[in-house]
Amino acid sequence: METYSNRKIKMTLIYVVLILFAIVNAYPILWMILNSFKTTKEYAVDKLGLPHSLHFQNYIDAWHTANFGEYFWNSIVVSVVAVIITVLFGALAAYFIARFDFKMSKTIYNFFIFGLLVPIHATLVPMFILMSKLGILNTRLSLIFPYVAFNLPITIFLLVSFMRSFPKDIEESAIMDGAGILRIFWAIILPMTRPAIATVVILSFINNWNEFVFALVLINNPKLQTLPLGLQNFAGDHVTNYVAQFAGLTMALVPILIVYLLLEKELVKGMTAGAVKG
Amino acid sequence: MVFKMKKSWSLLLLGVVLVFALSACGSNDSNGASKDGKVTLTLWNAWSGDTSDTRLYNERVKKFNDSHPDITIKTETTDSDNYRTKLKTRAAGKQLPDIFQVWPGSELEPIVKGGAMAPIDSLTDDLKGKLINENTLKDFAVDGKQYAIPTSVSYTNLVFYDKDMIKKVGYDQFPTTYSDFKTLIKKLKAEGITPIELGNKPQWPLQSIYVSMIADRITGSDYLPKVLAGKAKFTDPGFVKALNVVKELNDMQAFNKDVNTINDDQAMDNFVQGKSAIFISGSWSTTGLLDKKSKDKHIGTARMPAFEGGKGDPTKVSGVGAVGLGINSNLSGAKKKAALEFLKYFYSKDLYEDLLKAGLLIPAKVDLPKDTDPLFKEAYQATEGGTAPVYDGVLPAELTQTLNNGLQGILTGSMTPEKLAKEMQSQVNQ
Amino acid sequence: MKIDTKAKWGIVLGLGPALLIYIGFAIVPIIISFYYSFMKWDGFSPMQYVGLDNFKELFKDQLFWHSLKNNVYVILASVIGQLSLALLFALLLNRKLKGAKFFRTIGFMPVVLSSVVVSLTWSLIYNSEDGLLNELLRAVGLQSWTQNWLGNEHLAMISVCVTIIWQFIGLYMIIFLAALQNIPREILEAAEIDGATEWSKTWKIILPMMKDTITAALVLAISGSLKTFDQIYVMTSGGPNHATDVSALYMYNKTFQSLQFGYGSAISVFIFIFGLVLILVLNKLIGKSAV
Repeated sequence: METYSNRKIKMTLIYVVLILFAIVNAYPILWMILNSFKTTKEYAVDKLGLPHSLHFQNYIDAWHTANFGEYFWNSIVVSVVAVIITVLFGALAAYFIARFDFKMSKTIYNFFIFGLLVPIHATLVPMFILMSKLGILNTRLSLIFPYVAFNLPITIFLLVSFMRSFPKDIEESAIMDGAGILRIFWAIILPMTRPAIATVVILSFINNWNEFVFALVLINNPKLQTLPLGLQNFAGDHVTNYVAQFAGLTMALVPILIVYLLLEKELVKGMTAGAVKG
Repeated sequence: MVFKMKKSWSLLLLGVVLVFALSACGSNDSNGASKDGKVTLTLWNAWSGDTSDTRLYNERVKKFNDSHPDITIKTETTDSDNYRTKLKTRAAGKQLPDIFQVWPGSELEPIVKGGAMAPIDSLTDDLKGKLINENTLKDFAVDGKQYAIPTSVSYTNLVFYDKDMIKKVGYDQFPTTYSDFKTLIKKLKAEGITPIELGNKPQWPLQSIYVSMIADRITGSDYLPKVLAGKAKFTDPGFVKALNVVKELNDMQAFNKDVNTINDDQAMDNFVQGKSAIFISGSWSTTGLLDKKSKDKHIGTARMPAFEGGKGDPTKVSGVGAVGLGINSNLSGAKKKAALEFLKYFYSKDLYEDLLKAGLLIPAKVDLPKDTDPLFKEAYQATEGGTAPVYDGVLPAELTQTLNNGLQGILTGSMTPEKLAKEMQSQVNQ
Repeated sequence: MKIDTKAKWGIVLGLGPALLIYIGFAIVPIIISFYYSFMKWDGFSPMQYVGLDNFKELFKDQLFWHSLKNNVYVILASVIGQLSLALLFALLLNRKLKGAKFFRTIGFMPVVLSSVVVSLTWSLIYNSEDGLLNELLRAVGLQSWTQNWLGNEHLAMISVCVTIIWQFIGLYMIIFLAALQNIPREILEAAEIDGATEWSKTWKIILPMMKDTITAALVLAISGSLKTFDQIYVMTSGGPNHATDVSALYMYNKTFQSLQFGYGSAISVFIFIFGLVLILVLNKLIGKSAV
């Protein structure tokens, strides 16, 4: 029997653990933001203290150096389009793999695991040659296709594992009602999969938003380049303007935070009791 | 419900259409000379980071474009680490730009041997010995042919020291012999001051800065080419002794404790903060030191001390030409002419004068302006005695990596100088 | 679901787009990379077919085996440290708790952080001269525990692993959180009525129902660990003296520094096969325990 004081001790313990967890996690972000307001000299002599004044100039410098004006939108377009395609195609594929018993189902599922195992740098030269042969080098497609291709495995992987755990008879009543395959997917399976969809949207958005090496070699036109390339401009041959880089990284974090915060509630939105006719 | 079905398919369709629509707005940029005789050339460089020299390079390109209406140079900048990855990937796909930045020695050689670059001897014959130092020019030559011209020289070994700190232990000027240098280190240690600041996390500093210079002092400048030609060995006593100097300094605890976990930049910050008395780095650090030091900090610049019985010339400083621009071997006709014209314009006396004013050490015969900062003036004077080879500028990449890692091992104690020399020699033999 | 002709077409249409892009832009480059592994190539000069020479050399290459061993450490750290902590925090944060949303968000932050910042801040924590960790140890009187965390060859890998664990707890946390939503409340409520303790509820109901997701997370952790690159590249560059070298970094250096494209490809082929074997073994183990 749980007594009141026992419960109190337990809750205190939980909060102590959570607060420690929060401190360790918040520290690097706070550090980055605080240092983004320091001058170069201040940062050189004091890396841990508070800034003497808020040196907003870093943000203006960062905006220009990283070419935010253009690169930001390029990143948004490429990331968002790739995420939409990944999730749409991925969810559809996951649905058929998870909910239908056909001969190739397991094989195809395992086939997607391959994509998880390849170090990205190994595909750099082949990818470049492939894009060049297809004639889509220096176009947004040359980033969107690889982003979709390399995010599909984890998307399908997570969605299949999620969809498989639905009770088997979910679709049966719908079929009795005469619903088509695609309608079952759209009206029943997809809504139930929302927490997992939110997860894969967040993950693939982060991957696309931060992706660097493909963007480095596949896009040459400054009008189409993405933000991670711009964020490298702070590094010179031997000197790096760290404070401006922190300002740039802080700004680059905003879209990811927005995506996360928008989807966060989906992550914990449990199924309403009625959704499952167990 | 039928509506919903349609919606799903149309969403799919929309996605596909969207992709193709978006891709349409990024077509390939046109190549080569157009009908009206105008030429567009692409130039890849690693002029990232807003520093005085990169600003000058970009200005120079802009001036060229303004004064040459029939030629347009389009630049593309990537930071030097990633630039190399990009260049190598593009080279593997046989798609190099018209003009591109290259690094000397072992980095240049495979590009030339693969037939990707055209020689520019017609240009350099005029400059050789007149404007530009012949010796530095050689850094960008392969098999007797010239492939690029350096804008500046990276001297990889300059000793920066805190004048007040060494005065405190009885030194009015920096020691000129190694044994005296060791005495200084001991005295600094006795005062509780960290003698030398070094940031060797990126692995090249100990090799490029220290070993290049120390080994040259001991073995002389003709040793390294001899080893690669098979006429001398890394296991010869001279080179082993040079490695042992590193070990000795480490055993004396001359370096900061976090030597293997900070980089050159952070080491400079620590030195500026007064955490240590000496910072040995390259000419690239002069501008940073001037930016970061406080007014009442007096930093002197000296050469690496001489080694007793060493065969090297103690007035030499290890250095290598930098920021060479080469041209693609597939250029011909109007494009090639335009590219050569650009290079000729770029590497002019004006540029070298501006660079020197901005605090860069250059391979050209240009006078030092009067209002130069004393720190830079001392650095300039330190490098007047000629250049010694830089190890990673000469060694094949594989050997450089072995040396880099081995030196970290010497610091942590998992490697001995003798063993490292043996490993390097066995790689030469292969 | 049962398959009829209509469903067959559905399967083809449903799997088609994903498979097409995946094969075209992931599998094809992988196959080309496999092809390079039989070549000697510096990227500039013409390729030369050398058969299995690259693989023969690979088997003798001690530095490679050393880097692979470090990958195994990363795998162990991820599977043991990361997944268990992520599961713990997911379970804690799935309940009605004041500030749960705040902790969930903060918990996810490291995942989105640039590896440059991760490297710089953790270097400040681990620094042997005035790092936060050593200062903390000194403050609580554990002077003798202070270490050169990243500079000591025996400790560097452990230190790097801690950072890697830390950075991706949030990733698995949200994967587990999503999976927890899949467990019907009625079942848990019924168990509570039967007087099940929290402990037995977690072990007997929640975890078994998350089995698919946990397996997926295991596969992700293993494959992710084999590809570890960014964190180590910025934190230690594989040093000191290869102490923290991992195979993806080793492959990168061989390919782009030493210009051995063929050898680099051979390394990635090996990583690939090694990963497949690990996952196969894992599937066998989990398959058995489920029976």
